[in-house]
Amino acid sequence: MTFIVPIGPQHPALKEPAFFRFEVKGEEIADVDIRFGYVHRGIEEALQRRDYKHDVYLIERICGICNVVHTTTYCQAIEQLAGVEPPERAKYIRVIILELERIHSHLLWLGIAAHQIGFNTLFMLAWRDRERVMDLREIISGNRVTSATNTIGGVRRDVKPEHVPTILRGLDELEHSTKYYIDLFNSDRTILARCTNVGILTKDDARKFCAVGPLARASGVDTDIRRDHPYAIYDKLSFNVITEREGDVWAKSMVRLREILEAIHIVRQAVKEMPIGPIRIKVNLEIPRNEAIERTEAPRGELFYYALSNGTDSPERVHVRTPTCANFASIKRMFLGGTVAEIPIVIWSIDPCFACNDRVALVDSHTGKTFNLSLKELRKWRH
Amino acid sequence: MPRILPQVLRNLLRKPATVKYPQVRVEPPKGYRGRPVVDPERCISCWLCIRTCPARAITISKETKKPSIWLGRCIFCGECAEVCPARAITMTKEFEFTTLR
Ligand code: SF4
Ligand code: SF4
Repeated sequence: MTFIVPIGPQHPALKEPAFFRFEVKGEEIADVDIRFGYVHRGIEEALQRRDYKHDVYLIERICGICNVVHTTTYCQAIEQLAGVEPPERAKYIRVIILELERIHSHLLWLGIAAHQIGFNTLFMLAWRDRERVMDLREIISGNRVTSATNTIGGVRRDVKPEHVPTILRGLDELEHSTKYYIDLFNSDRTILARCTNVGILTKDDARKFCAVGPLARASGVDTDIRRDHPYAIYDKLSFNVITEREGDVWAKSMVRLREILEAIHIVRQAVKEMPIGPIRIKVNLEIPRNEAIERTEAPRGELFYYALSNGTDSPERVHVRTPTCANFASIKRMFLGGTVAEIPIVIWSIDPCFACNDRVALVDSHTGKTFNLSLKELRKWRH
Repeated sequence: MPRILPQVLRNLLRKPATVKYPQVRVEPPKGYRGRPVVDPERCISCWLCIRTCPARAITISKETKKPSIWLGRCIFCGECAEVCPARAITMTKEFEFTTLR
């Protein structure tokens, strides 16, 4: 007998309303159907009605967690349109806040992932450490989340020399706790039981469904825009691209955790090698007709921007493709053959930009009867 | 034994990582982008800030011809403070806007 388990679209805790329709046979998931588009905000149209400078702040609000990577990509695309190059120091500052953002995004992910598998102690610890990154970002950019640091032609705020010791100290603490989490993920029985061999995406499937970011890297696909198509000053910094072979939730966690260490390494180098100089240049924003694409590595994967100018001070078209959108294609393969108890962690394992879930309804497709089940109960659902 | 237990025990003895917010306040760092405040004395009514504001949060008062900031729209970007030639706008460290009525 097949049950239909709908999740969403109006799910109180989904950051972006999305609709998942699971067909379950007993415990096993037989099919999944995903529908999007509930949270269409018309941002791309709104971008065309503002000028380039004002667009930066609208772009920043596409995603709260990864706002810096959005503005960086946008600014780089517009700089490419206008044919200007930001000063060297600005690029370093961009990399510093980009990597701090990656650390904070991955720690946030780790916290919620721990919560999804019912490991609330780790959730609290991860979010406690995330506060350290938030504090660093607050020092550098003036706000915990929205940095408002990027602008077309450079950055608006400098990383002052007196901030450097604080940043380095914060990074040391973060490194210490990240190593502890890696150790925990390698040895804790609860984590191993809930994460290994769950939601597997094989390498072939990852390639076939064009997975990006940590999801692809966890399946052994060696891809990272920071190395393959360097932007800002990533070509001058040394870092490793983290890959794992297993493709399960454990590998996805491991890739993210080890990426935090790499990000710490990158920030340390950037802080040390940062040249002295101007941080922004003036750009004439009446850009003649031109088009540009820009790709960056967001915490969740490849972020893609397309921009078209038309001679006025507002863009003719800006198109955004976010990594979550690319990764949803692979999610079906990760669910098939899994169990209902795995749904929360597998959805969360692609880091899909939604906070946490708390209700699903089970519909018996033969009688049409609906059972409601809070995700809290779902989390406790063992087979 | 769960691997996280030593950490949990250690945390029991540590002081909390959070502060009791309304009683204990953490001062935001220097350069924090809090509430923008207009100093009408310094303002020269050039209205550059109005054109710069990405959220269209700044309006002009009819009588005084000085700008005032509508906090309901403001996104605390700090562009107005940056652009003002007379340095009449400053970003304060104030971040609690909720009031009791
Ligand atoms: S930019 Fe400064 S001086 Fe000009 S109107 Fe605004 S507050 Fe007044
Ligand atoms: S801080 Fe930004 S949004 Fe607020 S009034 Fe100034 S320019 Fe407008």
